[in-house]
Amino acid sequence: MSVRPSLRRSWRRQALPLLFVLPALLVYALFVLWPFVNTIHYSLTDWDGAQPVKNFIGLANYRDMFADPLMWLSLRHNLIWIALGTLTPVVIGLVLANLVWSGVKGRTLFRTIFFMPVVLASVVVGIIWHWIYHPLFGPINVVLRNVGLEQVARGWLGDYDWALYALLLAGLWAYFGFCFVILLAALQGIDMELHDAAMIDGAGSFKRFWHVTVPQLAPVLTMLTAFTLIGGFNVFDIIFVTTKGGPANATDVLATYTYRQAFTLNEAGYGATLTMMITVLSLVASYTFITLRERGQ
Amino acid sequence: MRSATLPRASGRRGAFLLTLIKYAILVMVAILCLMPFVWVWSSAFKPSLEIADTPLSLPREPTLQNFANAWVQGRFAKYFTNSVIVTVPIVGFTLLLSSLAGYAFARHYFRGRQTLFYAFLLGLTLPFTSIMIPLYYTLRDTGLLGTYWAMIIPQTAIGLPFGIFIMRAFFQSLPRELEDSGRVDGCNEFGVFWRVMLPLTAPGMVTLGIFSFLGAWNSFLLPLIFMQRESLRPLVVGLMFFQSRYTRDFALIMAGATIISVPVIVVYIIFQRQFIQGLTAGAVKG
Repeated sequence: MSVRPSLRRSWRRQALPLLFVLPALLVYALFVLWPFVNTIHYSLTDWDGAQPVKNFIGLANYRDMFADPLMWLSLRHNLIWIALGTLTPVVIGLVLANLVWSGVKGRTLFRTIFFMPVVLASVVVGIIWHWIYHPLFGPINVVLRNVGLEQVARGWLGDYDWALYALLLAGLWAYFGFCFVILLAALQGIDMELHDAAMIDGAGSFKRFWHVTVPQLAPVLTMLTAFTLIGGFNVFDIIFVTTKGGPANATDVLATYTYRQAFTLNEAGYGATLTMMITVLSLVASYTFITLRERGQ
Repeated sequence: MRSATLPRASGRRGAFLLTLIKYAILVMVAILCLMPFVWVWSSAFKPSLEIADTPLSLPREPTLQNFANAWVQGRFAKYFTNSVIVTVPIVGFTLLLSSLAGYAFARHYFRGRQTLFYAFLLGLTLPFTSIMIPLYYTLRDTGLLGTYWAMIIPQTAIGLPFGIFIMRAFFQSLPRELEDSGRVDGCNEFGVFWRVMLPLTAPGMVTLGIFSFLGAWNSFLLPLIFMQRESLRPLVVGLMFFQSRYTRDFALIMAGATIISVPVIVVYIIFQRQFIQGLTAGAVKG
């Protein structure tokens, strides 16, 4: 073997690590990065998935999209989903995490139970709640009838004004446990000395919570918010399984609308443009929060 | 408002009342979490007629008929097999590729390391929606659509950023001396990785394996688009079509939902420590 030592060293330093990364990189580049580049390309064409040529039409799709009332309606529903679906589970999770953290028996049991809905497939969550809201024998209506609130009972998911909020409640049920577990872990890691100092200074429990605990949780709260925002712009499963965006687009969100355009109507080009809307919103949301978090640290 | 401070004078009775309220809230939330599970799982054992009669009570005459119907006529046997056939390789490939790459990112300095790592991090924030349309046509044109690979490869690919992120963190936590001692003992570079370092990241592999399993088992939009042929449907997609077909047979649908959810809940309960540790390590520290 007459390989020069420096060459051997550079093999070990340069080529070998690349060999370790290569399999993952190939799969990731071909099946994630390349399709993403193609999404941008498709969005500039009027391709229908069948023609051999993809006609370049510039920004025409984007112009259409910004004039598309269904896109705006769907986006509005996403924003409602985000506004209520971000704040509520974080607040509920925070309150419950505080209760458990302040010392209770059966902490692990509560954690196990609160997290159970989170591991459930969202299709199953959708199906469960579909039946909970069933107009005839869904438990909600059964209970309402039994307590004499007959006029309140309705087919919740078929009701134009209520369907979106009914689904949001189901989403909340399936998600708050996630916030709870993350916040409980964060609480267990906070600096107790500050807490004790504040107590000695005469700060009440609410004040301690607000001025001592919450600031220490800020990075985790930021992360959770970013996470929920991305989820909120991409919500699909639970809606598709229950209402498919109906009745009369009352629960349409960007992802269900995009799915219809791309895979029912085969509008690959316009579908890709709608996809870009979701992508940009998700990326802006996550990078804003990552920046905020890094500035905070 | 000063009154936020609890008057200490109220003493033991006040404290007792507070504790009572605390437990009441926690137990109530726990019941709200569990009730749908109890309801679904118990309905799965009810004869259809009993459900229409007394929808909320526990089964009076439990039966396995719904499971038999779902399994055979509802083709859940086929969907279950499909789910297993795609989930096993997805978990295997994700573990293998993520630990190889995670090891290089954690333990080696090479040109372009930072750039490559950022490229993978981009995937953590890129939703599946962003790539689904071109991916569909790529799979169609390469003939992968209509095979199990149409789910196995993309699902593995979208899990890699998170997998590499986790495995890199686990490899970083191992002491440098171990690696050197492996080299002194005459292992080559791959041997150091495979025989010395990888076994030490077993807890990380368990965590990632569970995430990968849950992600693949519960994945919906991806197989909805890429596994359109009926004979390829995994459980979750099967259940959705099943629901629209047997929309009035409530007991049958609940049996289907039970078949999907029981494996997930069992895996979660067995591995919950590792699962929650992985989740919170990523979120709280990372």
